Amino acid sequence: MPYKLDWVPIWNNRDLIVEGFLTTIALSAAGLVLALLIGVAVGTAGSSRSRVARSCAAGYVELMRNIPLLVHMYFWYMGLAFLRLPPFACAVAALALYSGAYVAEVVRSGIGAVPQGQRLAALATGLTPMQAFLLVIYPQALRIVMPSLASVISQLIKDSSLASVITVAELTYEATAIEGQTFRTFEVYIVISLLYLLLASIVTYGMMLLPGAREDAVQSSSNA
Amino acid sequence: MPDVILKNLPFLLSGLRLTVEIAFWSILGGTILGLAIGIVRYLRTPVLAQLFALYVGFVRGTPLLVMVFICYFGLPVLLAYKTSAYAAAIVGFILFIAAYLAEDIRAGLRSVRPGLVQAALATGLTRLQVVRLVVVPIAVRNVIPTLFNQYVRLFKFTSVASVIGVNELTGSAMLVNGREFAPITIIGFIALTYLVLCLAISSVGRVLYARLAVKT
Repeated sequence: MPYKLDWVPIWNNRDLIVEGFLTTIALSAAGLVLALLIGVAVGTAGSSRSRVARSCAAGYVELMRNIPLLVHMYFWYMGLAFLRLPPFACAVAALALYSGAYVAEVVRSGIGAVPQGQRLAALATGLTPMQAFLLVIYPQALRIVMPSLASVISQLIKDSSLASVITVAELTYEATAIEGQTFRTFEVYIVISLLYLLLASIVTYGMMLLPGAREDAVQSSSNA
Repeated sequence: MPDVILKNLPFLLSGLRLTVEIAFWSILGGTILGLAIGIVRYLRTPVLAQLFALYVGFVRGTPLLVMVFICYFGLPVLLAYKTSAYAAAIVGFILFIAAYLAEDIRAGLRSVRPGLVQAALATGLTRLQVVRLVVVPIAVRNVIPTLFNQYVRLFKFTSVASVIGVNELTGSAMLVNGREFAPITIIGFIALTYLVLCLAISSVGRVLYARLAVKT
Protein backbone atom coordinates (compact mmCIF):
# COMPACT_ATOMS: atom_id res chain seq x y z
CA MET A 1 0.00 0.00 0.00
CA PRO A 2 1.65 3.23 -1.14
CA TYR A 3 -0.35 5.36 1.26
CA LYS A 4 0.89 5.68 4.84
CA LEU A 5 -1.81 6.32 7.40
CA ASP A 6 -0.93 9.26 9.61
CA TRP A 7 -3.27 10.26 12.40
CA VAL A 8 -1.19 13.06 13.91
CA PRO A 9 -2.61 15.91 11.77
CA ILE A 10 -6.12 14.80 12.75
CA TRP A 11 -5.22 14.92 16.42
CA ASN A 12 -3.66 18.37 15.96
CA ASN A 13 -6.93 19.61 14.49
CA ARG A 14 -9.08 18.12 17.21
CA ASP A 15 -10.44 21.54 18.18
CA LEU A 16 -12.01 21.98 14.75
CA ILE A 17 -13.50 18.50 14.88
CA VAL A 18 -14.97 19.05 18.34
CA GLU A 19 -16.39 22.39 17.26
CA GLY A 20 -17.90 20.83 14.16
CA PHE A 21 -19.30 17.97 16.20
CA LEU A 22 -21.00 20.40 18.59
CA THR A 23 -22.47 22.33 15.65
CA THR A 24 -23.76 19.08 14.17
CA ILE A 25 -25.41 18.26 17.49
CA ALA A 26 -26.96 21.73 17.73
CA LEU A 27 -28.13 21.58 14.11
CA SER A 28 -29.65 18.13 14.52
CA ALA A 29 -31.29 19.05 17.82
CA ALA A 30 -32.87 22.21 16.43
CA GLY A 31 -33.97 20.40 13.27
CA LEU A 32 -35.31 17.52 15.32
CA VAL A 33 -37.46 19.66 17.65
CA LEU A 34 -39.04 21.48 14.71
CA ALA A 35 -39.43 18.26 12.70
CA LEU A 36 -41.22 16.62 15.64
CA LEU A 37 -43.59 19.58 15.99
CA ILE A 38 -44.35 19.58 12.25
CA GLY A 39 -44.58 15.81 12.20
CA VAL A 40 -47.04 15.58 15.09
CA ALA A 41 -49.23 18.32 13.62
CA VAL A 42 -49.22 16.93 10.07
CA GLY A 43 -49.43 13.32 11.22
CA THR A 44 -52.44 14.07 13.41
CA ALA A 45 -54.10 15.88 10.52
CA GLY A 46 -53.30 12.90 8.32
CA SER A 47 -55.14 10.52 10.62
CA SER A 48 -58.13 12.77 11.22
CA ARG A 49 -61.56 12.01 9.82
CA SER A 50 -61.80 15.25 7.84
CA ARG A 51 -61.03 14.60 4.21
CA VAL A 52 -59.62 18.10 3.67
CA ALA A 53 -57.16 17.73 6.56
CA ARG A 54 -56.13 14.31 5.29
CA SER A 55 -55.43 15.50 1.76
CA CYS A 56 -53.57 18.59 2.98
CA ALA A 57 -51.36 16.35 5.13
CA ALA A 58 -50.79 13.91 2.27
CA GLY A 59 -49.94 16.80 -0.06
CA TYR A 60 -47.40 18.17 2.39
CA VAL A 61 -45.79 14.77 2.92
CA GLU A 62 -45.53 13.96 -0.80
CA LEU A 63 -44.23 17.42 -1.66
CA MET A 64 -41.53 17.50 1.01
CA ARG A 65 -40.50 13.88 0.85
CA ASN A 66 -39.99 13.69 -2.89
CA ILE A 67 -37.64 16.65 -3.20
CA PRO A 68 -33.96 16.07 -2.35
CA LEU A 69 -32.80 17.60 0.91
CA LEU A 70 -30.00 19.35 -0.96
CA VAL A 71 -32.58 21.14 -3.10
CA HIS A 72 -34.44 22.12 0.10
CA MET A 73 -31.21 23.56 1.42
CA TYR A 74 -30.48 25.48 -1.78
CA PHE A 75 -34.03 26.78 -1.79
CA TRP A 76 -33.65 28.37 1.64
CA TYR A 77 -30.08 29.48 1.11
CA MET A 78 -30.19 30.75 -2.48
CA GLY A 79 -33.84 30.88 -3.48
CA LEU A 80 -34.79 32.93 -0.45
CA ALA A 81 -31.47 34.74 -0.32
CA PHE A 82 -33.26 38.09 -0.11
CA LEU A 83 -34.41 37.13 3.40
CA ARG A 84 -30.73 37.05 4.42
CA LEU A 85 -31.23 34.12 6.79
CA PRO A 86 -28.01 32.87 8.37
CA PRO A 87 -26.90 29.53 6.83
CA PHE A 88 -27.57 27.74 10.12
CA ALA A 89 -31.21 28.87 10.08
CA CYS A 90 -31.55 27.82 6.42
CA ALA A 91 -30.21 24.37 7.23
CA VAL A 92 -32.53 24.00 10.24
CA ALA A 93 -35.54 25.07 8.17
CA ALA A 94 -34.69 22.66 5.36
CA LEU A 95 -33.99 19.75 7.72
CA ALA A 96 -37.17 20.39 9.72
CA LEU A 97 -39.49 20.62 6.72
CA TYR A 98 -37.93 17.59 5.03
CA SER A 99 -37.71 15.31 8.07
CA GLY A 100 -41.05 16.61 9.33
CA ALA A 101 -42.69 14.77 6.43
CA TYR A 102 -41.05 11.49 7.51
CA VAL A 103 -42.01 12.06 11.14
CA ALA A 104 -45.58 12.80 10.01
CA GLU A 105 -45.85 9.41 8.31
CA VAL A 106 -44.52 7.69 11.43
CA VAL A 107 -46.94 9.59 13.68
CA ARG A 108 -49.84 8.81 11.38
CA SER A 109 -49.08 5.11 11.41
CA GLY A 110 -48.69 5.22 15.20
CA ILE A 111 -52.06 6.86 15.72
CA GLY A 112 -53.58 4.34 13.34
CA ALA A 113 -52.11 1.50 15.39
CA VAL A 114 -53.84 2.60 18.60
CA PRO A 115 -57.17 0.74 18.70
CA GLN A 116 -60.28 2.90 18.00
CA GLY A 117 -61.75 1.77 21.33
CA GLN A 118 -59.08 3.70 23.21
CA ARG A 119 -60.22 6.99 21.75
CA LEU A 120 -63.90 6.21 22.21
CA ALA A 121 -63.33 5.13 25.81
CA ALA A 122 -61.31 8.28 26.51
CA LEU A 123 -64.08 10.45 25.10
CA ALA A 124 -66.71 8.47 27.02
CA THR A 125 -64.96 9.15 30.32
CA GLY A 126 -65.45 12.87 29.63
CA LEU A 127 -62.02 13.85 28.32
CA THR A 128 -62.04 16.54 25.66
CA PRO A 129 -60.72 15.43 22.23
CA MET A 130 -57.54 17.37 22.94
CA GLN A 131 -57.06 15.57 26.26
CA ALA A 132 -57.83 12.25 24.63
CA PHE A 133 -54.97 12.82 22.20
CA LEU A 134 -52.49 14.12 24.76
CA LEU A 135 -53.22 11.68 27.58
CA VAL A 136 -54.38 8.51 25.84
CA ILE A 137 -53.49 8.28 22.16
CA TYR A 138 -50.10 9.98 21.85
CA PRO A 139 -48.44 8.11 24.74
CA GLN A 140 -49.47 4.75 23.31
CA ALA A 141 -48.64 5.71 19.73
CA LEU A 142 -45.22 6.98 20.78
CA ARG A 143 -44.27 3.60 22.24
CA ILE A 144 -45.48 1.72 19.20
CA VAL A 145 -43.54 3.86 16.73
CA MET A 146 -40.39 4.27 18.82
CA PRO A 147 -38.23 2.06 16.55
CA SER A 148 -39.29 3.84 13.34
CA LEU A 149 -38.94 7.20 15.03
CA ALA A 150 -35.43 6.30 16.13
CA SER A 151 -34.50 5.43 12.56
CA VAL A 152 -35.95 8.69 11.24
CA ILE A 153 -33.94 10.59 13.84
CA SER A 154 -30.69 8.85 13.00
CA GLN A 155 -31.48 9.64 9.37
CA LEU A 156 -31.86 13.29 10.32
CA ILE A 157 -28.52 13.38 12.11
CA LYS A 158 -26.77 12.02 9.05
CA ASP A 159 -28.71 14.29 6.70
CA SER A 160 -27.45 17.28 8.67
CA SER A 161 -24.10 16.71 6.91
CA LEU A 162 -25.60 18.31 3.79
CA ALA A 163 -25.64 21.62 5.65
CA SER A 164 -21.90 21.76 4.94
CA VAL A 165 -22.78 22.51 1.31
CA ILE A 166 -24.44 25.78 2.34
CA THR A 167 -21.43 26.72 4.50
CA VAL A 168 -22.67 25.69 7.93
CA ALA A 169 -19.49 24.86 9.84
CA GLU A 170 -20.59 21.46 11.08
CA LEU A 171 -18.64 18.21 11.23
CA THR A 172 -18.44 17.46 7.49
CA TYR A 173 -17.54 21.07 6.70
CA GLU A 174 -14.68 21.02 9.21
CA ALA A 175 -13.56 17.69 7.81
CA THR A 176 -13.27 19.12 4.29
CA ALA A 177 -11.38 22.08 5.74
CA ILE A 178 -8.95 19.81 7.60
CA GLU A 179 -8.59 17.64 4.53
CA GLY A 180 -7.74 20.69 2.45
CA GLN A 181 -4.99 21.70 4.81
CA THR A 182 -3.45 18.37 5.73
CA PHE A 183 -4.32 16.03 2.81
CA ARG A 184 -4.99 13.27 5.35
CA THR A 185 -8.13 12.42 3.37
CA PHE A 186 -8.89 8.92 4.46
CA GLU A 187 -8.13 9.46 8.13
CA VAL A 188 -10.29 12.52 8.55
CA TYR A 189 -13.33 11.02 6.85
CA ILE A 190 -13.04 7.81 8.81
CA VAL A 191 -12.90 9.81 12.04
CA ILE A 192 -16.00 11.82 11.26
CA SER A 193 -17.83 8.70 10.02
CA LEU A 194 -17.20 7.14 13.39
CA LEU A 195 -18.39 10.28 15.15
CA TYR A 196 -21.65 10.22 13.18
CA LEU A 197 -22.00 6.53 13.89
CA LEU A 198 -21.44 7.20 17.58
CA LEU A 199 -23.97 10.01 17.69
CA ALA A 200 -26.63 8.09 15.78
CA SER A 201 -26.08 4.97 17.91
CA ILE A 202 -26.31 6.86 21.19
CA VAL A 203 -29.56 8.51 20.15
CA THR A 204 -31.09 5.29 18.81
CA TYR A 205 -30.15 3.17 21.81
CA GLY A 206 -31.18 5.97 24.16
CA MET A 207 -34.62 6.07 22.60
CA MET A 208 -35.05 2.32 22.79
CA LEU A 209 -34.28 2.51 26.51
CA LEU A 210 -37.33 4.72 27.12
CA PRO A 211 -39.82 2.82 29.28
CA GLY A 212 -42.11 0.60 27.28
CA ALA A 213 -40.48 1.24 23.91
CA ARG A 214 -39.74 -2.42 23.29
CA GLU A 215 -42.45 -4.33 25.15
CA ASP A 216 -45.33 -2.23 23.84
CA ALA A 217 -44.16 -2.65 20.29
CA VAL A 218 -44.19 -6.40 20.70
CA GLN A 219 -47.52 -6.42 22.54
CA SER A 220 -49.41 -4.24 20.12
CA SER A 221 -48.23 -6.26 17.15
CA SER A 222 -49.35 -9.50 18.78
CA ASN A 223 -52.71 -7.97 19.73
CA ALA A 224 -53.38 -6.64 16.28
CA MET B 1 -42.46 27.76 -18.73
CA PRO B 2 -40.35 30.76 -17.71
CA ASP B 3 -37.75 32.06 -20.17
CA VAL B 4 -34.79 31.21 -17.98
CA ILE B 5 -35.74 27.56 -18.02
CA LEU B 6 -36.60 27.44 -21.73
CA LYS B 7 -33.33 29.07 -22.69
CA ASN B 8 -31.29 26.61 -20.66
CA LEU B 9 -33.50 23.59 -21.19
CA PRO B 10 -30.99 21.56 -23.27
CA PHE B 11 -28.34 21.98 -20.58
CA LEU B 12 -30.74 21.12 -17.77
CA LEU B 13 -31.96 18.10 -19.70
CA SER B 14 -28.39 16.85 -20.15
CA GLY B 15 -28.10 17.17 -16.37
CA LEU B 16 -31.30 15.22 -15.95
CA ARG B 17 -29.95 12.51 -18.24
CA LEU B 18 -26.88 12.22 -16.06
CA THR B 19 -29.06 12.02 -12.94
CA VAL B 20 -31.10 9.21 -14.45
CA GLU B 21 -27.93 7.39 -15.54
CA ILE B 22 -26.36 7.67 -12.10
CA ALA B 23 -29.58 6.54 -10.47
CA PHE B 24 -29.93 3.60 -12.84
CA TRP B 25 -26.42 2.22 -12.30
CA SER B 26 -26.57 2.82 -8.56
CA ILE B 27 -29.92 1.08 -8.25
CA LEU B 28 -28.73 -1.86 -10.35
CA GLY B 29 -25.40 -2.23 -8.54
CA GLY B 30 -26.90 -1.54 -5.13
CA THR B 31 -29.61 -4.15 -5.60
CA ILE B 32 -27.15 -6.84 -6.67
CA LEU B 33 -24.74 -6.08 -3.84
CA GLY B 34 -27.58 -5.71 -1.36
CA LEU B 35 -29.03 -9.05 -2.42
CA ALA B 36 -25.65 -10.73 -1.98
CA ILE B 37 -25.09 -9.21 1.46
CA GLY B 38 -28.65 -9.95 2.51
CA ILE B 39 -28.40 -13.61 1.50
CA VAL B 40 -25.01 -14.11 3.15
CA ARG B 41 -26.29 -12.60 6.38
CA TYR B 42 -29.49 -14.65 6.15
CA LEU B 43 -27.51 -17.88 5.72
CA ARG B 44 -25.12 -16.80 8.51
CA THR B 45 -22.10 -17.81 6.43
CA PRO B 46 -19.26 -17.70 8.94
CA VAL B 47 -16.76 -14.78 8.77
CA LEU B 48 -18.44 -13.21 5.70
CA ALA B 49 -21.69 -12.66 7.59
CA GLN B 50 -19.86 -10.93 10.45
CA LEU B 51 -17.84 -8.79 8.06
CA PHE B 52 -20.97 -7.71 6.24
CA ALA B 53 -22.70 -6.98 9.54
CA LEU B 54 -19.86 -4.61 10.39
CA TYR B 55 -20.05 -3.06 6.94
CA VAL B 56 -23.81 -2.54 7.16
CA GLY B 57 -23.49 -1.03 10.63
CA PHE B 58 -20.75 1.34 9.51
CA VAL B 59 -22.49 2.53 6.35
CA ARG B 60 -25.86 2.96 8.01
CA GLY B 61 -24.26 5.21 10.60
CA THR B 62 -22.43 7.35 8.05
CA PRO B 63 -23.92 10.24 6.08
CA LEU B 64 -24.08 9.76 2.33
CA LEU B 65 -22.02 12.90 1.75
CA VAL B 66 -19.17 11.46 3.82
CA MET B 67 -19.49 8.15 1.96
CA VAL B 68 -19.18 9.99 -1.36
CA PHE B 69 -16.18 11.95 -0.06
CA ILE B 70 -14.53 8.71 1.03
CA CYS B 71 -15.06 7.23 -2.43
CA TYR B 72 -13.90 10.35 -4.26
CA PHE B 73 -11.04 11.62 -2.09
CA GLY B 74 -10.21 8.80 0.32
CA LEU B 75 -10.19 5.43 -1.40
CA PRO B 76 -8.32 6.50 -4.56
CA VAL B 77 -5.47 7.85 -2.41
CA LEU B 78 -5.45 4.85 -0.14
CA LEU B 79 -5.51 2.27 -2.91
CA ALA B 80 -3.62 4.39 -5.46
CA TYR B 81 -6.01 4.52 -8.39
CA LYS B 82 -7.51 7.35 -10.42
CA THR B 83 -11.21 7.98 -10.59
CA SER B 84 -13.64 10.48 -12.06
CA ALA B 85 -16.25 12.28 -9.96
CA TYR B 86 -18.92 10.45 -11.92
CA ALA B 87 -17.52 6.98 -11.18
CA ALA B 88 -16.79 7.87 -7.55
CA ALA B 89 -20.36 9.08 -7.07
CA ILE B 90 -21.80 5.86 -8.47
CA VAL B 91 -19.48 3.70 -6.36
CA GLY B 92 -20.40 5.74 -3.27
CA PHE B 93 -24.12 5.43 -3.96
CA ILE B 94 -23.86 1.70 -4.58
CA LEU B 95 -21.90 1.09 -1.37
CA PHE B 96 -24.32 3.31 0.54
CA ILE B 97 -27.67 2.04 -0.69
CA ALA B 98 -26.57 -1.62 -0.70
CA ALA B 99 -26.30 -1.55 3.09
CA TYR B 100 -29.91 -0.39 3.43
CA LEU B 101 -31.20 -2.73 0.73
CA ALA B 102 -29.37 -5.64 2.36
CA GLU B 103 -31.25 -5.07 5.61
CA ASP B 104 -34.59 -4.84 3.84
CA ILE B 105 -33.89 -7.97 1.82
CA ARG B 106 -32.76 -9.85 4.92
CA ALA B 107 -35.98 -8.88 6.67
CA GLY B 108 -37.87 -10.19 3.64
CA LEU B 109 -35.91 -13.46 3.61
CA ARG B 110 -36.63 -13.99 7.28
CA SER B 111 -40.32 -13.35 6.77
CA VAL B 112 -40.69 -16.39 4.51
CA ARG B 113 -42.60 -18.96 6.55
CA PRO B 114 -40.43 -21.75 7.96
CA GLY B 115 -42.96 -24.32 6.74
CA LEU B 116 -42.17 -23.44 3.15
CA VAL B 117 -38.45 -23.83 3.75
CA GLN B 118 -38.95 -27.19 5.45
CA ALA B 119 -41.25 -28.40 2.71
CA ALA B 120 -38.70 -27.40 0.08
CA LEU B 121 -35.92 -29.18 2.00
CA ALA B 122 -38.15 -32.25 2.34
CA THR B 123 -38.60 -32.48 -1.43
CA GLY B 124 -34.85 -33.01 -1.67
CA LEU B 125 -33.63 -29.58 -2.72
CA THR B 126 -30.25 -28.59 -1.34
CA ARG B 127 -29.98 -25.65 1.01
CA LEU B 128 -28.73 -23.32 -1.72
CA GLN B 129 -31.44 -24.42 -4.10
CA VAL B 130 -34.06 -23.71 -1.44
CA VAL B 131 -32.70 -20.20 -1.05
CA ARG B 132 -32.44 -19.61 -4.79
CA LEU B 133 -35.71 -21.17 -5.90
CA VAL B 134 -38.04 -20.68 -2.95
CA VAL B 135 -36.94 -18.12 -0.39
CA VAL B 136 -35.47 -15.37 -2.60
CA PRO B 137 -38.32 -15.20 -5.13
CA ILE B 138 -40.94 -14.93 -2.40
CA ALA B 139 -38.92 -12.55 -0.24
CA VAL B 140 -37.97 -10.15 -3.04
CA ARG B 141 -41.55 -9.86 -4.22
CA ASN B 142 -42.77 -9.15 -0.72
CA VAL B 143 -40.24 -6.41 -0.03
CA ILE B 144 -40.91 -4.54 -3.27
CA PRO B 145 -42.50 -1.59 -1.41
CA THR B 146 -39.48 -1.11 0.87
CA LEU B 147 -37.08 -1.59 -2.02
CA PHE B 148 -38.81 1.13 -4.00
CA ASN B 149 -38.77 3.41 -0.96
CA GLN B 150 -35.01 3.03 -0.97
CA TYR B 151 -34.87 3.62 -4.73
CA VAL B 152 -36.77 6.89 -4.29
CA ARG B 153 -34.39 7.84 -1.49
CA LEU B 154 -31.44 7.04 -3.72
CA PHE B 155 -32.89 9.02 -6.58
CA LYS B 156 -33.11 12.07 -4.35
CA PHE B 157 -29.63 11.40 -3.01
CA THR B 158 -28.12 11.56 -6.50
CA SER B 159 -28.29 15.34 -6.03
CA VAL B 160 -25.39 14.96 -3.61
CA ALA B 161 -23.14 14.08 -6.57
CA SER B 162 -23.22 17.79 -7.47
CA VAL B 163 -21.12 18.50 -4.38
CA ILE B 164 -18.13 16.64 -5.85
CA GLY B 165 -18.60 18.36 -9.20
CA VAL B 166 -20.82 16.03 -11.21
CA ASN B 167 -23.08 18.21 -13.35
CA GLU B 168 -26.24 16.22 -12.90
CA LEU B 169 -29.60 17.94 -12.49
CA THR B 170 -28.77 19.85 -9.30
CA GLY B 171 -25.23 20.63 -10.40
CA SER B 172 -26.30 21.95 -13.79
CA ALA B 173 -29.09 23.96 -12.16
CA MET B 174 -26.54 25.61 -9.89
CA LEU B 175 -24.38 26.45 -12.92
CA VAL B 176 -27.35 27.94 -14.73
CA ASN B 177 -28.21 29.89 -11.61
CA GLY B 178 -24.70 31.25 -11.46
CA ARG B 179 -25.13 32.70 -14.93
CA GLU B 180 -28.76 33.77 -14.85
CA PHE B 181 -29.40 34.39 -11.19
CA ALA B 182 -33.03 33.38 -10.96
CA PRO B 183 -32.75 31.04 -7.97
CA ILE B 184 -36.44 30.61 -7.15
CA THR B 185 -37.42 29.69 -10.71
CA ILE B 186 -34.49 27.36 -11.25
CA ILE B 187 -34.67 25.63 -7.89
CA GLY B 188 -38.43 25.40 -8.25
CA PHE B 189 -38.00 23.77 -11.64
CA ILE B 190 -35.59 21.08 -10.46
CA ALA B 191 -37.66 20.50 -7.31
CA LEU B 192 -40.68 19.85 -9.52
CA THR B 193 -38.65 17.53 -11.77
CA TYR B 194 -37.45 15.49 -8.80
CA LEU B 195 -40.99 15.40 -7.39
CA VAL B 196 -42.49 14.05 -10.61
CA LEU B 197 -39.76 11.44 -11.12
CA CYS B 198 -39.90 10.26 -7.50
CA LEU B 199 -43.67 9.90 -7.70
CA ALA B 200 -43.18 7.96 -10.94
CA ILE B 201 -40.72 5.58 -9.27
CA SER B 202 -43.11 5.01 -6.36
CA SER B 203 -45.99 4.25 -8.69
CA VAL B 204 -43.88 1.74 -10.62
CA GLY B 205 -43.23 0.08 -7.27
CA ARG B 206 -46.92 0.05 -6.46
CA VAL B 207 -47.85 -1.53 -9.78
CA LEU B 208 -45.10 -4.16 -9.53
CA TYR B 209 -46.15 -5.02 -5.98
CA ALA B 210 -49.81 -5.34 -6.94
CA ARG B 211 -48.85 -7.72 -9.76
CA LEU B 212 -46.09 -9.75 -8.18
CA ALA B 213 -46.73 -9.96 -4.45
CA VAL B 214 -47.12 -13.50 -3.18
CA LYS B 215 -50.40 -13.88 -1.37
CA THR B 216 -49.87 -16.43 1.34
